Amino acid sequence: MPPTAQFAAKRVAKELQKITNDLPPGIKLVEAENFEEWLLDIQVLDDNPLYKDQTYRLKFKFGSSYPIEPPEVTFVKLPDRPIPIHPHIYSNGIICLDLLGQQGWSPVQNVESVCMSLQSMLTGNTKNERPPGDEEFVRANRLRPKDIDFYYHDNNV
Amino acid sequence: MSTGRSILLKEDGNRRFQAGDYVSAEALYSKALIADPTNPALYTNRAMARLKMSLWESVIADCNECLKLDPDSMKAHYYLSQAHLPLHNYDEALEHALKAYGMCVKTADKSLSSVTAQVKRCKKERWDDLDKRRRRETSDLEREIYVMMERERDEALSSDPDLRDGERQEIQTEWARKMDTMRDVFEKSRAAHEQRRKVPDWAVDDISFEFMRDPVVTKTGKSYERASITEHLRRNNTDPLTREPLYLSELRPNIDLKQACDDFLQDNGWANDW
Repeated sequence: MPPTAQFAAKRVAKELQKITNDLPPGIKLVEAENFEEWLLDIQVLDDNPLYKDQTYRLKFKFGSSYPIEPPEVTFVKLPDRPIPIHPHIYSNGIICLDLLGQQGWSPVQNVESVCMSLQSMLTGNTKNERPPGDEEFVRANRLRPKDIDFYYHDNNV
Repeated sequence: MSTGRSILLKEDGNRRFQAGDYVSAEALYSKALIADPTNPALYTNRAMARLKMSLWESVIADCNECLKLDPDSMKAHYYLSQAHLPLHNYDEALEHALKAYGMCVKTADKSLSSVTAQVKRCKKERWDDLDKRRRRETSDLEREIYVMMERERDEALSSDPDLRDGERQEIQTEWARKMDTMRDVFEKSRAAHEQRRKVPDWAVDDISFEFMRDPVVTKTGKSYERASITEHLRRNNTDPLTREPLYLSELRPNIDLKQACDDFLQDNGWANDW
Protein backbone atom coordinates (compact mmCIF):
# COMPACT_ATOMS: atom_id res chain seq x y z
CA MET A 1 0.00 0.00 0.00
CA PRO A 2 1.44 3.42 -0.88
CA PRO A 3 1.71 5.78 2.11
CA THR A 4 -1.22 7.91 0.98
CA ALA A 5 -3.50 4.87 0.72
CA GLN A 6 -2.60 4.00 4.28
CA PHE A 7 -3.48 7.52 5.33
CA ALA A 8 -6.86 7.11 3.64
CA ALA A 9 -7.53 3.73 5.25
CA LYS A 10 -6.69 5.08 8.68
CA ARG A 11 -8.94 8.06 8.29
CA VAL A 12 -11.82 5.91 7.00
CA ALA A 13 -11.34 3.53 9.92
CA LYS A 14 -11.51 6.46 12.35
CA GLU A 15 -14.64 7.74 10.73
CA LEU A 16 -16.23 4.35 11.03
CA GLN A 17 -15.35 4.20 14.71
CA LYS A 18 -16.79 7.66 15.22
CA ILE A 19 -20.08 7.17 13.41
CA THR A 20 -20.87 3.60 14.45
CA ASN A 21 -22.43 4.80 17.66
CA ASP A 22 -23.37 8.27 16.72
CA LEU A 23 -25.07 9.33 13.50
CA PRO A 24 -27.57 12.17 13.19
CA PRO A 25 -31.24 11.29 12.69
CA GLY A 26 -32.18 10.12 9.21
CA ILE A 27 -28.72 8.70 8.43
CA LYS A 28 -27.96 5.00 8.80
CA LEU A 29 -24.83 3.03 8.09
CA VAL A 30 -25.84 -0.03 6.05
CA GLU A 31 -22.54 -1.63 5.20
CA ALA A 32 -18.90 -0.80 5.83
CA GLU A 33 -17.05 -4.06 5.24
CA ASN A 34 -13.88 -2.39 4.05
CA PHE A 35 -12.24 1.00 3.73
CA GLU A 36 -12.97 1.44 0.04
CA GLU A 37 -16.72 1.35 -0.24
CA TRP A 38 -19.57 2.06 2.17
CA LEU A 39 -23.34 2.02 1.87
CA LEU A 40 -25.56 4.36 3.81
CA ASP A 41 -29.28 5.04 3.90
CA ILE A 42 -30.57 8.57 4.22
CA GLN A 43 -34.02 9.99 4.79
CA VAL A 44 -35.37 13.50 4.60
CA LEU A 45 -36.80 14.39 7.98
CA ASP A 46 -39.25 17.12 7.09
CA ASP A 47 -42.54 16.79 5.25
CA ASN A 48 -41.30 17.66 1.77
CA PRO A 49 -43.83 15.68 -0.33
CA LEU A 50 -41.14 14.82 -2.91
CA TYR A 51 -39.22 12.69 -0.42
CA LYS A 52 -41.63 11.93 2.40
CA ASP A 53 -41.48 8.36 3.76
CA GLN A 54 -38.72 7.40 1.31
CA THR A 55 -35.30 5.97 2.06
CA TYR A 56 -32.40 6.46 -0.33
CA ARG A 57 -29.26 4.35 -0.64
CA LEU A 58 -25.93 6.09 -0.98
CA LYS A 59 -22.66 4.55 -2.09
CA PHE A 60 -19.40 6.13 -0.93
CA LYS A 61 -16.17 5.18 -2.65
CA PHE A 62 -12.96 6.32 -1.00
CA GLY A 63 -9.92 6.75 -3.20
CA SER A 64 -6.39 6.39 -1.95
CA SER A 65 -6.15 10.16 -1.54
CA TYR A 66 -9.20 10.53 0.66
CA PRO A 67 -9.83 12.91 2.44
CA ILE A 68 -7.52 15.19 0.49
CA GLU A 69 -9.60 14.23 -2.54
CA PRO A 70 -13.37 13.89 -2.28
CA PRO A 71 -15.04 10.49 -2.08
CA GLU A 72 -17.15 9.36 -5.00
CA VAL A 73 -20.75 9.53 -3.87
CA THR A 74 -23.74 8.25 -5.85
CA PHE A 75 -27.29 7.17 -5.19
CA VAL A 76 -27.95 3.48 -5.79
CA LYS A 77 -31.20 2.19 -7.22
CA LEU A 78 -32.80 -0.84 -5.57
CA PRO A 79 -36.38 -2.16 -5.56
CA ASP A 80 -37.10 -0.30 -2.30
CA ARG A 81 -34.53 2.48 -2.80
CA PRO A 82 -35.41 4.89 -5.61
CA ILE A 83 -33.18 7.66 -6.94
CA PRO A 84 -34.50 10.92 -5.43
CA ILE A 85 -35.95 13.36 -7.92
CA HIS A 86 -33.88 16.56 -7.97
CA PRO A 87 -32.60 19.00 -10.62
CA HIS A 88 -29.02 18.05 -9.65
CA ILE A 89 -29.41 14.30 -9.46
CA TYR A 90 -29.38 12.25 -12.65
CA SER A 91 -31.68 9.27 -12.82
CA ASN A 92 -28.67 6.92 -12.77
CA GLY A 93 -27.75 8.22 -9.31
CA ILE A 94 -24.96 10.62 -10.23
CA ILE A 95 -25.02 13.75 -8.08
CA CYS A 96 -23.96 17.26 -9.08
CA LEU A 97 -22.93 18.89 -5.83
CA ASP A 98 -20.01 21.28 -5.66
CA LEU A 99 -19.06 19.90 -2.26
CA LEU A 100 -18.23 16.60 -3.98
CA GLY A 101 -16.17 18.17 -6.77
CA GLN A 102 -12.45 18.88 -6.79
CA GLN A 103 -13.05 22.57 -6.19
CA GLY A 104 -15.77 22.48 -3.58
CA TRP A 105 -14.36 19.65 -1.48
CA SER A 106 -12.48 20.26 1.74
CA PRO A 107 -10.69 17.57 3.78
CA VAL A 108 -12.58 18.59 6.91
CA GLN A 109 -15.72 17.25 5.24
CA ASN A 110 -16.57 13.66 6.05
CA VAL A 111 -19.19 10.97 5.42
CA GLU A 112 -21.51 12.38 8.05
CA SER A 113 -21.25 15.95 6.77
CA VAL A 114 -21.76 14.84 3.15
CA CYS A 115 -24.89 12.90 4.13
CA MET A 116 -26.19 15.93 6.01
CA SER A 117 -25.50 18.17 3.00
CA LEU A 118 -27.42 15.77 0.77
CA GLN A 119 -30.27 15.69 3.27
CA SER A 120 -30.50 19.46 3.20
CA MET A 121 -30.09 19.55 -0.58
CA LEU A 122 -33.23 17.40 -0.80
CA THR A 123 -35.06 19.20 2.00
CA GLY A 124 -34.65 22.54 0.25
CA ASN A 125 -35.82 21.34 -3.15
CA THR A 126 -39.32 21.95 -4.50
CA LYS A 127 -38.75 21.05 -8.15
CA ASN A 128 -40.08 17.70 -9.24
CA GLU A 129 -37.56 17.37 -12.06
CA ARG A 130 -34.28 15.85 -13.29
CA PRO A 131 -31.30 17.84 -14.58
CA PRO A 132 -31.67 19.08 -18.15
CA GLY A 133 -30.61 16.43 -20.66
CA ASP A 134 -30.98 13.64 -18.09
CA GLU A 135 -32.16 10.99 -20.55
CA GLU A 136 -29.37 11.60 -22.97
CA PHE A 137 -26.78 11.84 -20.20
CA VAL A 138 -27.87 8.56 -18.66
CA ARG A 139 -27.95 6.81 -22.06
CA ALA A 140 -24.51 8.03 -23.10
CA ASN A 141 -22.80 7.99 -19.73
CA ARG A 142 -20.63 5.05 -18.87
CA LEU A 143 -18.20 7.06 -16.81
CA ARG A 144 -17.74 7.18 -13.10
CA PRO A 145 -18.49 10.51 -11.41
CA LYS A 146 -14.78 11.09 -10.87
CA ASP A 147 -14.10 10.79 -14.58
CA ILE A 148 -16.83 13.26 -15.33
CA ASP A 149 -15.15 15.64 -12.94
CA PHE A 150 -11.99 15.15 -14.89
CA TYR A 151 -13.92 16.19 -17.94
CA TYR A 152 -14.73 19.54 -16.44
CA HIS A 153 -11.69 20.46 -14.44
CA ASP A 154 -8.31 19.46 -15.73
CA ASN A 155 -6.73 18.07 -12.60
CA ASN A 156 -3.35 16.97 -13.95
CA VAL A 157 -3.83 13.25 -13.22
CA MET B 1 -61.93 29.33 34.42
CA SER B 2 -60.28 32.67 33.89
CA THR B 3 -58.00 32.98 30.86
CA GLY B 4 -57.01 36.59 31.50
CA ARG B 5 -55.98 35.92 35.08
CA SER B 6 -54.10 32.83 33.96
CA ILE B 7 -52.10 34.80 31.43
CA LEU B 8 -51.14 37.40 34.01
CA LEU B 9 -49.97 34.66 36.39
CA LYS B 10 -47.99 33.05 33.59
CA GLU B 11 -46.28 36.34 32.76
CA ASP B 12 -45.40 36.75 36.43
CA GLY B 13 -44.03 33.23 36.39
CA ASN B 14 -41.93 33.96 33.31
CA ARG B 15 -40.42 36.97 35.04
CA ARG B 16 -39.57 34.93 38.13
CA PHE B 17 -38.07 32.27 35.88
CA GLN B 18 -35.93 34.81 34.05
CA ALA B 19 -34.71 36.06 37.41
CA GLY B 20 -33.66 32.53 38.33
CA ASP B 21 -36.33 32.14 41.01
CA TYR B 22 -37.60 28.78 39.83
CA VAL B 23 -39.53 27.92 42.98
CA SER B 24 -41.72 31.05 42.72
CA ALA B 25 -42.05 30.57 38.97
CA GLU B 26 -43.26 27.01 39.48
CA ALA B 27 -45.85 28.15 42.03
CA LEU B 28 -47.11 30.90 39.71
CA TYR B 29 -47.44 28.46 36.79
CA SER B 30 -49.39 26.13 39.08
CA LYS B 31 -51.79 28.97 39.95
CA ALA B 32 -52.09 29.84 36.27
CA LEU B 33 -53.00 26.23 35.58
CA ILE B 34 -55.75 26.32 38.18
CA ALA B 35 -57.14 29.39 36.45
CA ASP B 36 -56.88 27.80 33.00
CA PRO B 37 -56.09 24.08 32.81
CA THR B 38 -56.47 23.96 29.01
CA ASN B 39 -53.37 25.94 28.03
CA PRO B 40 -50.65 23.42 27.02
CA ALA B 41 -47.87 26.04 27.23
CA LEU B 42 -48.48 26.35 30.98
CA TYR B 43 -47.52 22.71 31.42
CA THR B 44 -44.27 23.05 29.48
CA ASN B 45 -43.44 26.27 31.33
CA ARG B 46 -43.94 24.56 34.65
CA ALA B 47 -41.96 21.56 33.37
CA MET B 48 -39.11 23.91 32.50
CA ALA B 49 -39.12 25.33 36.03
CA ARG B 50 -39.30 21.83 37.47
CA LEU B 51 -36.36 20.75 35.32
CA LYS B 52 -34.33 23.47 37.02
CA MET B 53 -35.48 22.08 40.36
CA SER B 54 -34.54 18.51 39.34
CA LEU B 55 -38.11 17.29 39.92
CA TRP B 56 -37.86 14.76 37.12
CA GLU B 57 -41.05 12.80 37.81
CA SER B 58 -43.12 16.00 37.93
CA VAL B 59 -41.55 17.18 34.68
CA ILE B 60 -42.66 13.94 33.04
CA ALA B 61 -46.20 14.34 34.38
CA ASP B 62 -46.44 17.93 33.12
CA CYS B 63 -45.13 17.05 29.67
CA ASN B 64 -47.56 14.18 29.34
CA GLU B 65 -50.43 16.53 30.24
CA CYS B 66 -49.20 19.00 27.67
CA LEU B 67 -49.00 16.32 24.98
CA LYS B 68 -52.61 15.35 25.67
CA LEU B 69 -53.61 18.91 24.80
CA ASP B 70 -51.03 19.49 22.08
CA PRO B 71 -49.46 16.33 20.61
CA ASP B 72 -47.08 18.45 18.49
CA SER B 73 -45.35 20.21 21.36
CA MET B 74 -41.63 20.11 20.60
CA LYS B 75 -40.84 21.47 24.06
CA ALA B 76 -42.77 18.69 25.79
CA HIS B 77 -40.65 16.07 24.01
CA TYR B 78 -37.46 18.00 24.62
CA TYR B 79 -38.16 18.32 28.36
CA LEU B 80 -39.31 14.70 28.58
CA SER B 81 -35.96 13.67 27.17
CA GLN B 82 -34.14 15.85 29.70
CA ALA B 83 -36.12 14.38 32.58
CA HIS B 84 -35.77 10.75 31.50
CA LEU B 85 -32.01 10.96 31.12
CA PRO B 86 -31.14 11.54 34.80
CA LEU B 87 -33.63 8.78 35.67
CA HIS B 88 -31.53 6.44 33.50
CA ASN B 89 -34.46 5.78 31.17
CA TYR B 90 -32.12 5.92 28.20
CA ASP B 91 -34.47 4.58 25.56
CA GLU B 92 -37.27 6.99 26.45
CA ALA B 93 -34.83 9.88 26.69
CA LEU B 94 -33.51 9.15 23.21
CA GLU B 95 -36.96 8.54 21.75
CA HIS B 96 -38.25 11.92 22.92
CA ALA B 97 -35.06 13.72 21.91
CA LEU B 98 -35.45 12.29 18.41
CA LYS B 99 -39.09 13.35 18.26
CA ALA B 100 -38.15 16.87 19.35
CA TYR B 101 -35.35 16.84 16.80
CA GLY B 102 -37.68 15.84 13.97
CA MET B 103 -40.04 18.66 14.93
CA CYS B 104 -37.22 21.19 15.07
CA VAL B 105 -36.12 20.16 11.60
CA LYS B 106 -39.64 20.47 10.29
CA THR B 107 -40.18 23.94 11.69
CA ALA B 108 -36.59 25.19 11.46
CA ASP B 109 -36.88 25.78 15.19
CA LYS B 110 -34.13 27.85 16.76
CA SER B 111 -33.58 25.14 19.39
CA LEU B 112 -32.24 22.77 16.73
CA SER B 113 -28.68 22.87 17.92
CA SER B 114 -29.50 22.36 21.58
CA VAL B 115 -31.89 19.53 20.68
CA THR B 116 -29.19 17.97 18.52
CA ALA B 117 -26.84 18.16 21.48
CA GLN B 118 -29.50 16.45 23.59
CA VAL B 119 -29.79 13.63 21.03
CA LYS B 120 -26.06 13.10 21.18
CA ARG B 121 -26.04 13.27 24.97
CA CYS B 122 -28.72 10.56 25.10
CA LYS B 123 -26.80 8.32 22.74
CA LYS B 124 -23.59 8.89 24.64
CA GLU B 125 -25.06 8.19 28.06
CA ARG B 126 -26.88 5.13 26.81
CA TRP B 127 -23.64 3.83 25.38
CA ASP B 128 -21.73 4.60 28.58
CA ASP B 129 -24.35 2.75 30.58
CA LEU B 130 -24.10 -0.31 28.33
CA ASP B 131 -20.37 -0.13 28.59
CA LYS B 132 -20.51 0.01 32.38
CA ARG B 133 -22.76 -3.01 32.43
CA ARG B 134 -20.44 -4.89 30.11
CA ARG B 135 -17.55 -4.17 32.44
CA ARG B 136 -19.49 -5.29 35.45
CA GLU B 137 -20.41 -8.53 33.70
CA THR B 138 -16.79 -9.10 32.80
CA SER B 139 -15.59 -8.62 36.34
CA ASP B 140 -18.33 -10.93 37.66
CA LEU B 141 -17.25 -13.54 35.15
CA GLU B 142 -13.66 -13.10 36.22
CA ARG B 143 -14.52 -13.70 39.85
CA GLU B 144 -16.53 -16.80 38.96
CA ILE B 145 -13.69 -18.23 36.95
CA TYR B 146 -11.24 -17.90 39.83
CA VAL B 147 -13.67 -19.66 42.14
CA MET B 148 -14.03 -22.48 39.63
CA MET B 149 -10.29 -22.74 39.20
CA GLU B 150 -9.78 -22.93 42.94
CA ARG B 151 -12.39 -25.65 43.17
CA GLU B 152 -10.70 -27.58 40.39
CA ARG B 153 -7.37 -27.28 42.19
CA ASP B 154 -8.79 -28.39 45.52
CA GLU B 155 -10.40 -31.37 43.82
CA ALA B 156 -7.10 -32.35 42.26
CA LEU B 157 -5.48 -32.10 45.67
CA SER B 158 -8.09 -34.14 47.50
CA SER B 159 -8.78 -36.73 44.78
CA ASP B 160 -5.76 -38.81 45.71
CA PRO B 161 -5.03 -39.08 49.45
CA ASP B 162 -1.67 -40.70 48.70
CA LEU B 163 -0.13 -37.65 47.01
CA ARG B 164 3.37 -36.90 48.12
CA ASP B 165 4.27 -33.39 49.27
CA GLY B 166 6.29 -32.74 46.13
CA GLU B 167 3.33 -33.68 43.95
CA ARG B 168 0.99 -31.51 45.99
CA GLN B 169 3.41 -28.65 45.61
CA GLU B 170 3.43 -29.21 41.85
CA ILE B 171 -0.37 -29.07 41.62
CA GLN B 172 -0.40 -25.90 43.69
CA THR B 173 2.21 -24.26 41.49
CA GLU B 174 0.50 -25.28 38.28
CA TRP B 175 -2.85 -23.82 39.31
CA ALA B 176 -1.24 -20.68 40.63
CA ARG B 177 0.38 -20.26 37.22
CA LYS B 178 -2.93 -20.85 35.41
CA MET B 179 -4.65 -18.27 37.56
CA ASP B 180 -1.91 -15.75 36.91
CA THR B 181 -2.33 -16.33 33.19
CA MET B 182 -6.06 -15.83 33.48
CA ARG B 183 -5.50 -12.59 35.40
CA ASP B 184 -3.14 -11.47 32.64
CA VAL B 185 -5.74 -12.21 29.98
CA PHE B 186 -8.37 -10.17 31.78
CA GLU B 187 -5.91 -7.35 32.38
CA LYS B 188 -5.06 -7.25 28.69
CA SER B 189 -8.68 -7.22 27.64
CA ARG B 190 -9.27 -4.37 30.05
CA ALA B 191 -6.38 -2.46 28.54
CA ALA B 192 -7.76 -3.06 25.05
CA HIS B 193 -11.06 -1.80 26.32
CA GLU B 194 -9.44 1.36 27.60
CA GLN B 195 -8.17 2.02 24.11
CA ARG B 196 -11.72 2.57 23.03
CA ARG B 197 -12.08 5.31 25.61
CA LYS B 198 -12.51 8.80 24.38
CA VAL B 199 -9.89 11.10 23.02
CA PRO B 200 -10.86 14.75 23.56
CA ASP B 201 -12.02 16.49 20.38
CA TRP B 202 -9.51 19.31 20.79
CA ALA B 203 -6.72 16.79 20.37
CA VAL B 204 -8.07 15.32 17.14
CA ASP B 205 -7.00 16.54 13.73
CA ASP B 206 -10.04 17.18 11.55
CA ILE B 207 -8.30 15.95 8.40
CA SER B 208 -6.70 12.67 9.47
CA PHE B 209 -8.98 12.19 12.51
CA GLU B 210 -5.91 11.31 14.48
CA PHE B 211 -4.46 12.46 17.74
CA MET B 212 -2.37 15.55 17.05
CA ARG B 213 1.33 15.42 17.68
CA ASP B 214 2.48 18.54 15.88
CA PRO B 215 -0.45 20.90 15.64
CA VAL B 216 -0.15 24.00 13.48
CA VAL B 217 -2.63 26.86 13.48
CA THR B 218 -4.08 28.73 10.49
CA LYS B 219 -5.16 32.38 10.22
CA THR B 220 -8.65 31.38 11.30
CA GLY B 221 -7.34 30.03 14.60
CA LYS B 222 -8.08 26.42 13.70
CA SER B 223 -5.34 23.86 14.30
CA TYR B 224 -4.47 20.81 12.22
CA GLU B 225 -1.84 18.15 12.30
CA ARG B 226 0.99 19.55 10.28
CA ALA B 227 1.24 16.56 7.98
CA SER B 228 -2.44 16.63 7.08
CA ILE B 229 -2.74 20.32 6.33
CA THR B 230 0.50 20.21 4.37
CA GLU B 231 -0.83 17.37 2.26
CA HIS B 232 -3.97 19.39 1.62
CA LEU B 233 -2.09 22.60 0.76
CA ARG B 234 0.08 20.71 -1.66
CA ARG B 235 -2.95 20.33 -3.89
CA ASN B 236 -5.07 23.24 -2.92
CA ASN B 237 -3.95 26.53 -1.38
CA THR B 238 -7.14 27.22 0.52
CA ASP B 239 -8.15 27.17 4.14
CA PRO B 240 -10.19 23.96 4.62
CA LEU B 241 -12.84 25.79 6.60
CA THR B 242 -13.19 29.15 4.91
CA ARG B 243 -11.70 28.38 1.45
CA GLU B 244 -9.73 31.61 1.69
CA PRO B 245 -6.22 31.52 0.21
CA LEU B 246 -3.82 29.82 2.58
CA TYR B 247 -0.12 29.08 2.10
CA LEU B 248 2.14 26.72 3.93
CA SER B 249 4.34 29.63 4.96
CA GLU B 250 1.43 31.11 6.90
CA LEU B 251 1.09 28.17 9.27
CA ARG B 252 2.44 28.56 12.80
CA PRO B 253 3.08 25.86 15.38
CA ASN B 254 0.49 25.79 18.12
CA ILE B 255 2.84 25.34 21.05
CA ASP B 256 0.27 25.37 23.83
CA LEU B 257 -1.96 22.85 22.10
CA LYS B 258 1.04 20.64 21.54
CA GLN B 259 1.85 20.87 25.23
CA ALA B 260 -1.73 19.93 26.09
CA CYS B 261 -1.62 16.97 23.71
CA ASP B 262 1.63 15.77 25.22
CA ASP B 263 0.25 16.10 28.74
CA PHE B 264 -2.85 14.15 27.81
CA LEU B 265 -0.75 11.37 26.35
CA GLN B 266 1.34 11.21 29.47
CA ASP B 267 -1.71 10.34 31.57
CA ASN B 268 -3.36 8.25 28.85
CA GLY B 269 -0.80 5.95 27.38
CA TRP B 270 -3.51 4.07 25.52
CA ALA B 271 -4.08 7.07 23.28
CA ASN B 272 -0.60 6.78 21.89
CA ASP B 273 -1.54 4.55 19.01
CA TRP B 274 -5.02 5.99 18.66
